[in-house]
Amino acid sequence: METSLTSRRLVLGVQEPEDLDGPDLPTEPMPLNMGPAHPAMHGTVRMVLDVEGEKITNADIQVGYLHRCFEKESEYATYTQIFPYTDRLNYVSPMLNNVGYAMAVEKLLGICEKVPERAQYIRVIVGEMSRITDHMTCLGAGAMELGAFTVFLYMLKAREWLYELLEEVSGARLTHSYLRIGGVSADLPDGFAGKLLARIAEIREVLKDVSKLLDTNRIFRDRMDGIAIITKSEAIAWGLTGPMGRSTGFEYDVRKDHPYLVYDRFDFDVPVGSVGDNFDRYMVRVEEMHQSMRIIEQALATIPDGPVIMNDPRIALPPKAETYNSIEAMIAHFKLIMDGIHVPPGEIYSFTEGGNGELGFYIVSDGTGRPWKCRVRPPCFANISILNHILKGLFIADIVPTFGMANMIGGECDR
Amino acid sequence: MSDEPTTLKMVEGAPVPMGPGTESDLSLPALPAGTEMVNVIIDGRAHQVAKGANLLEACNSAGANVPYFCYHPGLSSPAVCRQCLVDVKGQPKPVPSCYTPCTDKMEVTTASPRVLDIRRQMLEFTLLNHPIDCPICDKAGECSLQQHYFDWDAKFARNDGVKVEKAKAVDIGKHIVLDQERCILCSRCIRVCAEVAKQPELTMAMRGDHEVLTTAPGRRLDNPYSLNTVDVCPVGALTSKDFRFASRVWELTSTPSVCPGCSTGCNIEVHTGKEEVKRLVPRPNDKVNKYWMCDEGRFTYKRTQTDRLGVPFVDGVPTEWDAALDQAKARLQSVLDKNPGAVGVVFSAQSTNEDLYVAAQLAFDHLGLKRAYLAGRDQGWHDDILVSADRNPNTAGAIAIGGGRLKSLIDLSQDLKKGELKALLVIGEDGVLAGDAGSAALPLQGLEALVVLAWCRDSLVDSAHVALPLAAWTEVDGTFTNKQGFVQRVRPAAPAAGDSLPTWEVLGHLGRRLGLAKDFTSARSVFLEAKQKLAYMKDADWGKTSLPVHLRFANSRG
Repeated sequence: METSLTSRRLVLGVQEPEDLDGPDLPTEPMPLNMGPAHPAMHGTVRMVLDVEGEKITNADIQVGYLHRCFEKESEYATYTQIFPYTDRLNYVSPMLNNVGYAMAVEKLLGICEKVPERAQYIRVIVGEMSRITDHMTCLGAGAMELGAFTVFLYMLKAREWLYELLEEVSGARLTHSYLRIGGVSADLPDGFAGKLLARIAEIREVLKDVSKLLDTNRIFRDRMDGIAIITKSEAIAWGLTGPMGRSTGFEYDVRKDHPYLVYDRFDFDVPVGSVGDNFDRYMVRVEEMHQSMRIIEQALATIPDGPVIMNDPRIALPPKAETYNSIEAMIAHFKLIMDGIHVPPGEIYSFTEGGNGELGFYIVSDGTGRPWKCRVRPPCFANISILNHILKGLFIADIVPTFGMANMIGGECDR
Repeated sequence: MSDEPTTLKMVEGAPVPMGPGTESDLSLPALPAGTEMVNVIIDGRAHQVAKGANLLEACNSAGANVPYFCYHPGLSSPAVCRQCLVDVKGQPKPVPSCYTPCTDKMEVTTASPRVLDIRRQMLEFTLLNHPIDCPICDKAGECSLQQHYFDWDAKFARNDGVKVEKAKAVDIGKHIVLDQERCILCSRCIRVCAEVAKQPELTMAMRGDHEVLTTAPGRRLDNPYSLNTVDVCPVGALTSKDFRFASRVWELTSTPSVCPGCSTGCNIEVHTGKEEVKRLVPRPNDKVNKYWMCDEGRFTYKRTQTDRLGVPFVDGVPTEWDAALDQAKARLQSVLDKNPGAVGVVFSAQSTNEDLYVAAQLAFDHLGLKRAYLAGRDQGWHDDILVSADRNPNTAGAIAIGGGRLKSLIDLSQDLKKGELKALLVIGEDGVLAGDAGSAALPLQGLEALVVLAWCRDSLVDSAHVALPLAAWTEVDGTFTNKQGFVQRVRPAAPAAGDSLPTWEVLGHLGRRLGLAKDFTSARSVFLEAKQKLAYMKDADWGKTSLPVHLRFANSRG
């Protein structure tokens, strides 16, 4: 990674925006609205730009158009009923949100150790599949906005393979709601491992094709290289995490630094960039997809047999046969559905590596079946907070790749 | 006992409220002076309690969580359910805390492994023959058995044997259906009949796992307090015919209120579902009704749901509020102009204090009328438990506000016969002139103006020149004064029917048209003004503002 970035710099050099500035033409400052309904905006977001000619002097990023009262709604839903809401946070990697939320509640319940090992492996596998779909969406759409429509179609083709498999697992293509407190809702379907491994091989081919189309593509590189450079210290100061943080050389990945589930059992690398420009953000995501596939292969090879959810009537719904045939299971079912899982009073901040970075859930319980407070730390909220800083001095045309590589997901950012 | 410093805390042997605790009017009787206090150590902490206090109550008010089925704060303790067993130092076996008086230096452990194990085993035993009825059981959602299983057992069944079959849906009384399979034999209902209603109609029959709850031979569960057995039933064995399958409890919201059935003024919760009152249940108040209410009171809400007036009528034709009020004013004014002495007002003992206060302002202070009468429902049967002969909730308030100026209905009848009345304003509420007292053949035909304010359509409303619709007691804010002199609050639990308005508001509108230079903005503002002026309301309290409690979130029923 390090060497390839150095070599590309030697070949192409870095073109600073100033180089393209040319002689000053007399211009007047002008406010310009971009969004909230703009085709190249990922999600509904509004930018109020101050421009002088093509040059941006200020960019006011206004988020919140996709606010759905997730946090307030959660206070009126049982802990289990919140899963469908989390699907709609980062909706291109719903499994990762499911994982983050489930782990927060499990920590509060003190049952992390009791979640069956097979369920933990399944969580890793479906989570990494979701990470790949997340990055594919980001890169595919980002490339399309720069004119590379073929890449978009290739990426979405491959993404659909994963969605099909996730649909086999959960029953839903996108809004999976697959996890449960204490495990997952169902075991992997028969033949899942074989299908997934076959798809991984095909996805590697797709990524190869995409690399050939983009990596040395002059049009693509001109729009990406040296644009919107973020330094490592800036990344830390603004709380950037995930691919955006790692593109600056800030080597922070929750899976490595604070291992959860069974991530510490797998061999994988955390790719980092050296320049912190848009191209680094692209490259980090490409490499992360390869690493995710490595993790999936290792997990599929070592996944143990066993139950996929805890066998505790206070936590997990009893099997249907039990529910219909014994009063104990009937009561447990009734209480879990009507009252919810009784989480002991307390508070927890639990964080996992989401598609865009550190996805945190801060939950306060008052001992009832519904959270007293359920706050989300959406990674892309922090990530796009730096946009105002880095867009200043760039051109209007730079907004599209820069915003694309920041990968704002409205559902997650606005909650 | 651990080395940590002990905390001393006063435990007053608090009765455990059985409602969702929306607003507890339960004020504990202060311990009599000179009560001997003893030290009891509960789960390692020292507490001071009255000597001989119930150990279960002492433990739970000290913050422990001791479950129970058969214990009830308003009944005697038979110690049959074995859920409240606790370890007492020096005792070889766990003791039933509901049946154990506190003694000095008692050391109690409420959740030792042995106690927890026994508790779980008893629940397993109880569930052995319990039918799988939760989806069709009215009690599901506020069921103690569900709650205790979840809290104290939470193990799957170890036995798939055939359950003992007993009778289901037994019609055992006028208001009650019994399901013997669901019964866990706690005997609370038997004690309600024997100790509260003083009519022992229920009993246990048979032995072992064939033991059933049943009525005594030749008897039915027909005492005037029978529906309290449904409230105390920890499971769905006894269900109310009125509420059966009417609603799921978690869809209800609870509003604290007061029963308008008689002058006792039992504290109640109005349970509302889909903006409609579904049932009334007693709310504990040690000074008024303890934990109970009579069956008759449970059905007082029915009257608010039938034959409602809905819109104003002028000469039998439905009309708008403004037009109706203008007509009422015009007709009263024409008589007032000619002969103020020929105008009379009928007050109602069913009105709230706030309504009566505005009525008195209008009739006496503003118009200076001399002819005012007090109407109310007819007297009924009574007992020395809860039911009062006076079937009006606010007779005490009406008499106090009337201050001797209110005459009886017999006077009204005579005045009408003599032809001394030409105009009459009747604050009718619900059928106050329709009963025996009213049917003293009131010759209303001679009146030039008859303006009636009422909830429901009846013969009086039909003969009125102007009829104005009132909101019923379940729909208004206000206070009633019971026969003991307690000023107690009713709260709106359902939206007002049709275009109806609270009485004080209607009288305010009418008053302004008649030149009363005063604005009444809310029942509360009227209350605060009345509190300043009326001695008997001096110590009354409007109470906290509280939203209705959604029973699903109350977490304490069952």
